[in-house]
Amino acid sequence: MDTIVAVSTPPGRSAIAVVRLSGAESLEILRALVRQEEFAPEPNRVVLKSLLINDDVLDQCLVTYFRAPHSFTGEDMVEISCHGSPVVLRQLIDLIQSYDARLAEPGEFTLRSCRNGKMNLSQAEAIRDLISAQTRAAAVQATRQLRGELAEALEPSKHELVRVIVVLESAIEFVEDDLPSVQLDEIRKTLQRLVVDLSRLADTYKAGHLLRDGIRVAIVGRPNVGKSSLFNKLLGFERAIVTDVAGTTRDSLTESISLQGIPVSLTDTAGFREAGDKIEAIGIERTRRAMADADLLVLVLDGSCSLQDEDQEILKAAGEQAFVVAINKTDLPQLANMNDHLNGAKVVHVSALTDEGIPELTAAILEPFGSLDSDSVGLLITDSRHHDLLARAKISLEGAARSMDQAAGEEIVLADLHNALRFLGAITGETTSEQILGEIFSTFCIGK
Amino acid sequence: MIMAFDEAFDVLVIGGGHAGCEAASASARLGATTALLTLNLDLIGQMSCNPAIGGIAKGHLVREIDALGGIMGRVIDRTGIQFRLLNRSRGPAVQSPRAQADRALYRLEMRKTLENTPNLSLRQGMVVDLLTPNNKVRGVVMQDGRRIGAKAVVIAAGTFLNGLIHTGRRTYGAGRAGEPASLELAETLKRLGLPVGRLKTGTPPRLDGRTIDWDLFQSQQADERPVAFSFSTDKIEQPQIDCYIGYTTSRVHEAIRKNLHESPLYSGQIKGVGPRYCPSIEDKVVKFAEKDRHQLFLEPEGHDTNEVYLNGFSTSLPAGLQQELVRMIPGLESANIIRPGYAIEYDYVDPRELGPDLQVRRIAGLFHAGQINGTTGYEEAGCQGLLAGINAARLVQGHTRFALRREESYIGVLVDDLITQGVDEPYRIFTSRAEYRLAFRHDNADERLSKYGREVGLVGDGEWERFNKRRDRIAKIKSALRTTRIRQSDAAYLALAEKIGLNGVESITLEDLAKRAGVTSVIISQLLPAETRAGGSLEEIESALADNLYSGYIRSQENVIHRLHGHDTLPIPIGLDFRTVNGLSHEMAERLERAKPVTFGAARRIPGLTPAALVTLLVNVNVGV
Ligand SMILES: Nc1nc2c(ncn2[C@@H]2O[C@H](COP(=O)(O)OP(=O)(O)OP(=O)(O)O)[C@@H](O)[C@H]2O)c(=O)[nH]1
Ligand SMILES: [Mg+2]
Repeated sequence: MDTIVAVSTPPGRSAIAVVRLSGAESLEILRALVRQEEFAPEPNRVVLKSLLINDDVLDQCLVTYFRAPHSFTGEDMVEISCHGSPVVLRQLIDLIQSYDARLAEPGEFTLRSCRNGKMNLSQAEAIRDLISAQTRAAAVQATRQLRGELAEALEPSKHELVRVIVVLESAIEFVEDDLPSVQLDEIRKTLQRLVVDLSRLADTYKAGHLLRDGIRVAIVGRPNVGKSSLFNKLLGFERAIVTDVAGTTRDSLTESISLQGIPVSLTDTAGFREAGDKIEAIGIERTRRAMADADLLVLVLDGSCSLQDEDQEILKAAGEQAFVVAINKTDLPQLANMNDHLNGAKVVHVSALTDEGIPELTAAILEPFGSLDSDSVGLLITDSRHHDLLARAKISLEGAARSMDQAAGEEIVLADLHNALRFLGAITGETTSEQILGEIFSTFCIGK
Repeated sequence: MIMAFDEAFDVLVIGGGHAGCEAASASARLGATTALLTLNLDLIGQMSCNPAIGGIAKGHLVREIDALGGIMGRVIDRTGIQFRLLNRSRGPAVQSPRAQADRALYRLEMRKTLENTPNLSLRQGMVVDLLTPNNKVRGVVMQDGRRIGAKAVVIAAGTFLNGLIHTGRRTYGAGRAGEPASLELAETLKRLGLPVGRLKTGTPPRLDGRTIDWDLFQSQQADERPVAFSFSTDKIEQPQIDCYIGYTTSRVHEAIRKNLHESPLYSGQIKGVGPRYCPSIEDKVVKFAEKDRHQLFLEPEGHDTNEVYLNGFSTSLPAGLQQELVRMIPGLESANIIRPGYAIEYDYVDPRELGPDLQVRRIAGLFHAGQINGTTGYEEAGCQGLLAGINAARLVQGHTRFALRREESYIGVLVDDLITQGVDEPYRIFTSRAEYRLAFRHDNADERLSKYGREVGLVGDGEWERFNKRRDRIAKIKSALRTTRIRQSDAAYLALAEKIGLNGVESITLEDLAKRAGVTSVIISQLLPAETRAGGSLEEIESALADNLYSGYIRSQENVIHRLHGHDTLPIPIGLDFRTVNGLSHEMAERLERAKPVTFGAARRIPGLTPAALVTLLVNVNVGV
């Protein structure tokens, strides 16, 4: 297998970055990097080395060599911990690529690990999620998937579905037998229940995928209402520049944070108004885009001034999107009539200066996404493939119920029920016709 | 090696049961010189168990056999004495013909059919050895010393292979009551290294009809409009008889339970696995102890006999006890058993040894059909015999092998299940085994399969013309269903609206009308233009309607299956060591090891195999390392 390389810490500026190499050439490349042909590191031992480029020291790094098969991928691997400057990283990766390694595809390390018998695919998927989990709650969900809890959670529904199939199949296959008559009403009720159960599980995807990928929140409002101030408050440090000059923020700025365990990617935007110059126009265009991409908007108003045309405009621009109104600057004398213009939208009163209302704002941001906040929540669907299969299973069940209402034959109802079972089977494992027959024979006394 | 033979044929068929008859007939009609070797020429086509053919899914098989050019359908049509279309009130895809046969007539008719087949010779005797130098079939050795040469051999020996009959604690070697078992041939198969297992089946006692109080049973009549099995049958000629339904009582169950120690099934004497859908009365009483009665069918065995088959009372209890138990049944208080029921254990060969042509993979020219492959049922046997016979002849003649896909027929489903999944109990066909059940109707077997029968050479000119005409008539009816509209101005509209409610629609095509609840084929037929109606039978109108009814569902089902099982046809390399596949857990590798799937479709159907294991396999086998 060829040798692959990737930066295995998240992109962006950080104190330490880890570069990983996997493949037969890993050690040779490391030797080239340290300019020591004889370099024979002891496996699994961290050593400090200078990496050189054109005889200049590129960086002082900690390097570790893992010998196959005792590594994550099962191949020879090298890990280089260097300083996290993007410039250094870029140079290092370029250099490594010039030594016969190529950039890894997404997930390729995991795939190699999988192929070399280090883990099975579902574990690999869960580990991928676990690694990329940004918060504790997301990590809890990934761990649950790792334990196969989804398949387990579906088992009762699948079992009920098989019971219905068994009853209808028996009616078709064993006409000559003295079977109890089919209770259509009971079957209808069971199908309804299954639809509800599957919908409920499928609907957790909305939360589950947010948990995995994070909620995108954009802070918007006209200039000077205090967007950047609130952004910094939620972040916990002074990231954005705050001044009393309207139009301070000229470009959108995004940071990842964890709000009560939920990953949130928070975007501060340029104030919304008639653009004064070209740069501002571009900034405002970016604001529009950030708004469109967001799962939720925090609409900031200045409580110490009356509602302006620009405020109205941004309320209109929010349109159908989910939003929370933050009336800022409660430390100043407030104008009382603001709520009248907000048509019952969710409103919180805050002050970026005194911190008043910040916990309420956090709660209001998370509220539309349900209680995702701890490991006490039930199982969530985090994988879009699982969500798709559940949704299709549900549609098939609804089709079966509709056929029953139209007094269609059992074989037609069963066509949809078997489809539903196939969709569930793609998550939990196939139910074979032999297993269904087994169920029939243990339920009914069949046969002459 | 030079072999001296007393006689030589292209193809030999061992066994004159339902598989053997189809195999011999097909092979001979395809031009291969063929001999049918059987223990007793008088018992060719004998129904060892229930004197009936067809039933749900089984009836489909017979019609498929017929569409391909087999003989079972014609023979039962000439000898059936009670025709009934099962599930008549249900959807057309799950309706299936069944007929009770006059057991003796069926046998005679089958023998006559074979005797009149050119290229086919009948030989009585027992085969004791197969000659297979270099894993290639050369011929057989008979018990009397005759050596018969052949290029292909079909083994269709039913329950005779190492057959062992049980009644109570008594056991004796037999292939069937009153006939010897085939012991040497069973040994030969083991010697050839074929994996041999044990299965079991059973049969109920037969009664003297004169000693039955018929009034205490409820009669069940034949259909007024019998549906034939063969597409070439115009009319069912046999006079039709009634069957009778009765019940056991808890007194009978009590007595059975008290005597379970007498049952070889419960004493551990029987090792073979029996079919769950054909349980003995002992099994029913034990496993469904809460039921206070079990249904019985009294089936007269023919026009010229008093013998009555006590269907539903299969047992291996001692003969004397059977007599006592039967007399506890209301209406049978003074009934006499004339043949006791029994259980029989026999050898079968793991069908995963076979290719889709039913040829044993490791021995060129050796074919297996019927119970040797672990199946049960005359129809299951018949279709395998047909397939094996066709392929034996084609092999000899240098043609490519002939196989059917599971997407187009029950025969394809059956063979695919056998050769990919193997069996762990006698295998019977069910409609639920087919993914495309809605597409497999008994009445469209010709549409699905006659073209293959024609290509292979079993469907003659006359039948082919008949099929084409029928197809044209159905096509005309379909087009009339699409184009004929019932309008508000039509006289029929009002009557219809009253009957089923048309919600004041301006007009409706017959095709759409037929999909509404309460609209029968008879109603539709009356609304068809007179010339269309005159050009097709009611059955043909029903076929056209069924095509319309299911087409949408079949399409959506195809989509689902394609989307989920798109990898099914990808091959898994034969001989792949699953334990070396990276990322497969030990347990999953073991399951795969046992099932030896050769395609992903087969692997998918291995019970307990997880989707993750399947994907892991897919990644490794197809991405390659
Ligand atoms: N009294 C008071 N002043 C505040 C509060 N929040 C922000 N300010 C002040 O309002 C001014 C504007 O704050 P910013 O956070 O830069 O406002 P902005 O909405 O990001 O403005 P632009 O980037 O120009 O669109 C600054 O002088 C802040 O100190 C608050 O809660 N109370
Ligand atoms: Mg700002």
